[in-house]
Amino acid sequence: MNRFIECVGVGKIFPGKNEAMEALRGIDFVGQEGEFVCLLGRSGCGKSTLLMMMAGLETATSGQIAVAGHEIRGPSSDTAIVFQDHGLFPWMTVQKNVEFNMKARGTPAAQRRETARQFIEMTSLTGFGDRYPHELSGGMRQRVGIARALTTRPKALLMDEPFGALDAQTRGKLQDELLQIWEKQRTTVLFVTHSIDEALLLADRILVFSPRPGRIAADIKVDLPRPRVSQSPGFTALARELRGLVGADREID
Amino acid sequence: MQWRRALGLLPLALLFIAWQVAVELKVYPTVLLPPPAKVADVFVNDWDTLLENAAASLARVVIGIGLSFCVAVPLGLLIGRYRILDMLTDWSIQIFRSVPPISLIPMAILLLGIGDKPAISLIFLSGLWPLLINTIFGVRGIERTLMKVARAARAGEFLVLRDIILPASLPAIFTGLRLAVGAGWLTVVTAEMIAVKSGLGYMILNGQLTFRSDLIIAGIIVIGAIGLLADQLVRLVRARVCRWQEGLTVSSE
Repeated sequence: MNRFIECVGVGKIFPGKNEAMEALRGIDFVGQEGEFVCLLGRSGCGKSTLLMMMAGLETATSGQIAVAGHEIRGPSSDTAIVFQDHGLFPWMTVQKNVEFNMKARGTPAAQRRETARQFIEMTSLTGFGDRYPHELSGGMRQRVGIARALTTRPKALLMDEPFGALDAQTRGKLQDELLQIWEKQRTTVLFVTHSIDEALLLADRILVFSPRPGRIAADIKVDLPRPRVSQSPGFTALARELRGLVGADREID
Repeated sequence: MQWRRALGLLPLALLFIAWQVAVELKVYPTVLLPPPAKVADVFVNDWDTLLENAAASLARVVIGIGLSFCVAVPLGLLIGRYRILDMLTDWSIQIFRSVPPISLIPMAILLLGIGDKPAISLIFLSGLWPLLINTIFGVRGIERTLMKVARAARAGEFLVLRDIILPASLPAIFTGLRLAVGAGWLTVVTAEMIAVKSGLGYMILNGQLTFRSDLIIAGIIVIGAIGLLADQLVRLVRARVCRWQEGLTVSSE
């Protein structure tokens, strides 16, 4: 069995002014290569914190995290991250934004351009290379964020509620596109969401988080065939089970 | 909307009428308060004097503010970026920026003599603080997600400063430049009244000594006109350089 992503006894305590806040406690989890894993839970249950620690942007207070056999001690070239508020540089065109992660690595300009073109095409952004982020819709901005993350061919793609700020229709479209890209690239995806439906549409496996302190309350395998339909009996049965686990309505928060 | 722009001319027209009326009513003898027509003559008869002195003042401001820009922007970017530099300089900046440049004129003359040196030094100082403070402010205002993107991509320090911190601070830097140009223009006229023997400030003071109140008023009009033009120029450049900002802010100010 390959242990592609490994968390062992991971905990996180934020030192506060008056009292420390324990965000995560005793997270143990092993992810397989190529797996699509959703981290599901209410806001404030530490799922985003765990993702940030995997990205090397936060340090764990206790325990270890390893991706692709390397322990995470800081930002790593094995991972790339997509943020909810897209994190695009407003003064760069789409093309330059997509090229940024490669530029940070010192990839030569000609190769950057070519690779960026490829991922701009994959994310249906062809023709928008010269636009600035403020000229794009929310969905298109997030496509740029995804394209940028993919350019360095990360072994694990970390996504922090990437579609959380989008309207339902755009969201559905981007979910489909993300699955297509994932099937093509076969990179491992860790996807934070607070939507049960979104988790069920996307994931091979769902880690349900419970709050205060954040822990993994359940580890659910989703064996439904793709493309998934939210009205199918298997889907609704799992949705009901998940609702019970997170203790909330369909759209929790 | 053209008539709304013309609305800005109304107070000026009223002032002009009041001036003409005051002359007609002989509130002051015409030697002290000349009629508008006589001042208009100055622009024909003494055009060379006006041009020569305006050029001298402008050159000082361009050099002085140019120097402030070259010092304040890099310094401000570094202070905004590195907490330790901020702690080192914060108090000094707060103290020195509250000293009016005019109060430094006597010291500047004692140390640097009469001429361009004290004048340009004072203009440099008057532009330094607004530029420095606004640049620091600009760096502070960077969206946190953008810095996370840079960290996750493991962007080098130079790339972060050049491709992220500098462009993100540009709108604030231009605000600082507008203030600096205004402050520099105020300072040059004052400095020329005391420390130099050329320029619009010198011309005006000389007008007082030779009872040329027409020349004084013409000088004031030129000072105001150049101030307005300089401000418009900075706004124009800003609008071009910060094109990406369109639509991000409610007003372009």
